[in-house]
Amino acid sequence: MKKVYSNKLTIFLFILPALLLFLLILVAPIFMSFYYSFFNWNGFGKKEFIGISNYIELFTSGSIGFPKALGNALLLAVLSVGIQLPIALGFALLLGKGRKGERGFLSIYFIPVLISTVIIGQLWLKIYNPSYGILNVALRALGLDKLTRIWLGDIKTALGAAFVPILWQYVGYHMLLMYAGIKSVPTEYREAAMIDGAREGQINRYIVLPYIKPILKISTIFAVTGSLKSFDLIYVLTNGGPLHATEVPSTLMISMLFLRNRYGMGSTIAFLLIILCFAFALIIGRIFKDKEG
Amino acid sequence: MKKVIALLLTVVMIVSSLVACGKDSGNNNGGNAGNTSGNTSGGSNSGSSETNSGGSNTSSDEKINLTMWCIATESDSNRHAYEAAIADLKAAHPEINFTWEATQNQEYKTKIKAAVAANEMPDIFFTWSCAFLGDFVDAGRVYCVDEVYKKYASELPEVMMGNVKYDGKYYGAPLTMNIVAMFTNLDLLKEVGYDQAPTTYEELIKCCDALVAKGIIPFGCSGKETWCVTEYLESIIEKTAGASVLNDIFAGKATWKNDDVAKGVEIFQEMIKKGYFDPEGMALSNDEVKANFIAGKYAFYMNGTWNCADFYNAGIADKIQVAEFPVIDSSKSKMGELIGGPSDTLAVAASSKNAEKAAEITFELARSICKYGYLDGNGLPAWTPNYDTSSINPLTQTVADIVAKSSQMVLFGDTAMSADKANIYLDYVSQIYASAIDGKQFVDGLAKDIQ
Repeated sequence: MKKVYSNKLTIFLFILPALLLFLLILVAPIFMSFYYSFFNWNGFGKKEFIGISNYIELFTSGSIGFPKALGNALLLAVLSVGIQLPIALGFALLLGKGRKGERGFLSIYFIPVLISTVIIGQLWLKIYNPSYGILNVALRALGLDKLTRIWLGDIKTALGAAFVPILWQYVGYHMLLMYAGIKSVPTEYREAAMIDGAREGQINRYIVLPYIKPILKISTIFAVTGSLKSFDLIYVLTNGGPLHATEVPSTLMISMLFLRNRYGMGSTIAFLLIILCFAFALIIGRIFKDKEG
Repeated sequence: MKKVIALLLTVVMIVSSLVACGKDSGNNNGGNAGNTSGNTSGGSNSGSSETNSGGSNTSSDEKINLTMWCIATESDSNRHAYEAAIADLKAAHPEINFTWEATQNQEYKTKIKAAVAANEMPDIFFTWSCAFLGDFVDAGRVYCVDEVYKKYASELPEVMMGNVKYDGKYYGAPLTMNIVAMFTNLDLLKEVGYDQAPTTYEELIKCCDALVAKGIIPFGCSGKETWCVTEYLESIIEKTAGASVLNDIFAGKATWKNDDVAKGVEIFQEMIKKGYFDPEGMALSNDEVKANFIAGKYAFYMNGTWNCADFYNAGIADKIQVAEFPVIDSSKSKMGELIGGPSDTLAVAASSKNAEKAAEITFELARSICKYGYLDGNGLPAWTPNYDTSSINPLTQTVADIVAKSSQMVLFGDTAMSADKANIYLDYVSQIYASAIDGKQFVDGLAKDIQ
């Protein structure tokens, strides 16, 4: 049997169905998007080859506003890494020490990940509602009427208001990843450090964090690529408005594909998004590798 | 030997799985879009009343399978009209297996475009006329209904077919038609001394000033759904610059660079600056704004006349007056110039295996939906009514009177223009509502970007 498994033809035949699915479902659409990005095409009419015009227009056209959308996604990525991951790490470190009610807290923090994004969107829509939303109601109750806003309707506050639920929703997800890593740290390491007189903070810094570095890398990649392709909550909360203040590349892509009938331009955005996600995943991998080195 | 057996087994496994996949896809191919008709569990979809999974092919018992997609979801005011029309159709045509599926408005636009792109359309589909349908016609995806129309021409005036006519040929059957109207809450107006909707622009401004002074918000408008802003803006531009000017601009025959259009935009912005519009509207959907109007938060609500049924059903018809937006510049415009027209349409997919039969059914359905929709108060009939209309709600009857006196109609801008242009236009409209640009920037920008 071992001989059979080591036979290259057998291995190839076994992986062939999965490989075909991978090529047809993942790789082929990427190449198709790349191909369509060179055309002016409404999705059902005649295609007109226009070279790299879509790429040029994407970065220069004011009516499309791709640089702003990309900037918003990058800002979300920065906030995810700068706010979401540290909070998740903090919770994971707290729970990882085996506090009372550990499992209960773990479940509570993970609930937002389990709930449908559309439901979370609707929930936050109600929270932000300018008339009866709990945020404005609370501010009024505290006598802070001046701070009440039309949170999702004002271009000054919409982006921040849309980012809060996105960051909030996935704290539990990253926390769970990190928690699993922290729990796998051998107790002997902790005990040895404690015998040597290390404090809690020092144990976390010199033992736990280096130990869970691969998980931190994965979390960072998920946070950054997730931010770049963020769509669902933005779509439910603001659909990119007001005045494109909350536009991200994915909402722009949907708008190009299905509202403006510009399949060529939509494919251009799709292809750039894929490239950006791959590029950031590689860069983050390299950064963590350098640090390990 | 073992090696050979293992290899053979592997090959058998792969081949059998591929064959199985092949069989599945073969079964599905027959169904085209219709194969989803039995499954109505997804999201906002609803409404399939049959569960046969075939497509537009003829089954063994000689029944013809036809599928239809539309936007008459459970919450849509036209839902009853569709249900009643389909019930009539089934009674009259037992030889047809009719399945239908409804999807919410915005999602439907995405869905039908994807289906057209993949050439996997249902036999009959709901569409908006003019540019929306025009893109599908240009791509050769829509069945020409010239021959079938001849049979129904006596009941469906040619003037109503103008928006589904491309290169001299007809590609759809219109349902109801609607206009933009100013719905007025008379209870709120009474609080500032008015017993009817203002009939002149000056009177409207005085009324709004009085309402603001009293702490009542004059207008509610959703900024989240830009088409709602166009209902106001287009009416104001029309009553400032005239219907002909706006019609020519939407049709691409005249430039956006027009001082009267810029003036109309600035009048609209002046109304916003004076606090005539609910500032919270920027973050609200149209449903939320409409609910606020029904609850008595706003004195006026400008929107399509399909709302008549909802206001009537909400029990507020007795305190609502439907009126036309008053003339702003009487040297350029006059009462009777309206925004609206027949836009809701049923069309037939060119790929339908029973296209001719589907076309006939489309006209029968369109006639019935128009009838029930009109009786329900969801709009005015594109088809000539040959039935008792005395039970129609008073709001719709008033709309009928307004339309009867109209001299010219301008179709909604986002329907009249192609998808790309319409969305650029909507972008500019949302900037106007947020006061991010002024009238001159609006006309200059549109002239540059879409002309």
